[in-house]
Amino acid sequence: MKLIVLAPEDDNHTAPIKWALEKAGQKVVCWAGLSWTEQGQSSLLMNGDDTLILGGHSVDPGDVIWIRRPEPPAPNPKVSEADKKFASLEYRCFYHSIAYLLETLPVWCINKYSAARVMIQKAVQLRLARQCGLKTPSTLMSNHPATVREFFARENSRTICKGFTPHVWQKEGQMSVAITETFELTGDQLPTDEVLTYAPAIYQERVPKDFDIRMVLMGNHIYSYSLKNKKQALDWRQDAGLGHVTAELVPTPPDVEKGVLEFARRSGLCFGSLDFGVDAQGQWWFLEINEQGQFLWIDQFSRDARLLEKFCAFVTSPQGSTLPLEARQDLFPSLAEYEELLKNEQVAPVGRPRQEDPFLSMEA
Amino acid sequence: MDHDNRVLTRRGARELTQDEVESVQGALKVAHTLTPCFIDKKQQLLNGDQAIGECGP
Repeated sequence: MKLIVLAPEDDNHTAPIKWALEKAGQKVVCWAGLSWTEQGQSSLLMNGDDTLILGGHSVDPGDVIWIRRPEPPAPNPKVSEADKKFASLEYRCFYHSIAYLLETLPVWCINKYSAARVMIQKAVQLRLARQCGLKTPSTLMSNHPATVREFFARENSRTICKGFTPHVWQKEGQMSVAITETFELTGDQLPTDEVLTYAPAIYQERVPKDFDIRMVLMGNHIYSYSLKNKKQALDWRQDAGLGHVTAELVPTPPDVEKGVLEFARRSGLCFGSLDFGVDAQGQWWFLEINEQGQFLWIDQFSRDARLLEKFCAFVTSPQGSTLPLEARQDLFPSLAEYEELLKNEQVAPVGRPRQEDPFLSMEA
Repeated sequence: MDHDNRVLTRRGARELTQDEVESVQGALKVAHTLTPCFIDKKQQLLNGDQAIGECGP
């Protein structure tokens, strides 16, 4: 068995996990995604005994495929201008063929591509979560001004607004940036109807939360961490980046655990990072799931979490194993050890420039 | 910010001060490299929870 990670080797989660697995004697290879370069090339031979090669690595029965964050398909830039659009679509279609085919092979996908594509949709998440018994806030997704105003006219309720995707605006020639963040809005603060059509948005009942939960799902194992922010900010993410958040392991209420496992079963996801808000009555409100969300940062905030080791135990679990991940986590080194090597430049740094960033805009 | 023709989400976006941007970037070197959202001056990326490759159709 080998682990094939669909992500660049220097992805900030791939690099430490690959290092930890290799230290424990596991075989790990990376494929950054379909591209014209030699490492990015792929072949799928279908002749009764189907063979899939990803950048020189064959996909074999029993392999584990972690579809972490492959880069978008990249056609050869030298292709004629007249053929660029066609080539781009062909690359995209071939990548989809590969990604969807993977889940039909005798390999374990984390997660299945089809499940990931459906479950990245926030509307689907909220509906399925509610059907699985999880508490969800009343939500409107709309670009229809009258409906938006009607939603804000609900009695005795507060409303937040957020985007479907993250985005950064950077001022031309300056360091300062603006980042999408959940923010509270009142009916009086709504802009003109015209503005409400500039971009659809998510309007949601504000959960009266005391604190947030980041939950990590690994198969049948659930780990919940309370995130407390001194500033009581509505959106903890940027404050986490600034180190203003504490993370502490907390027990998951049995009804929430049952709901999440049912959600995982119905969605087909075996791995993901979930966000909840917890109110003063201790009720957990499902907010969203990111099927390839960041999770190793919790190890930095709470060294006892050992999510790197647990993830390594998870992806190398024998098929059908019901053992807790804790039973095998000691086989793997910790993130702290990796960071020490990183600090001493004994491992390659994470991250590298990308060709383009769909989440960044420049503004005057 | 000039509000003309700007989307509502931009109006509610969080403005990071230069100090905050520097703080996050400084932290990148050692500590908080893995947080859900951070600004990376070098990569110009919001390396958040949502995978870059999943933004398209």
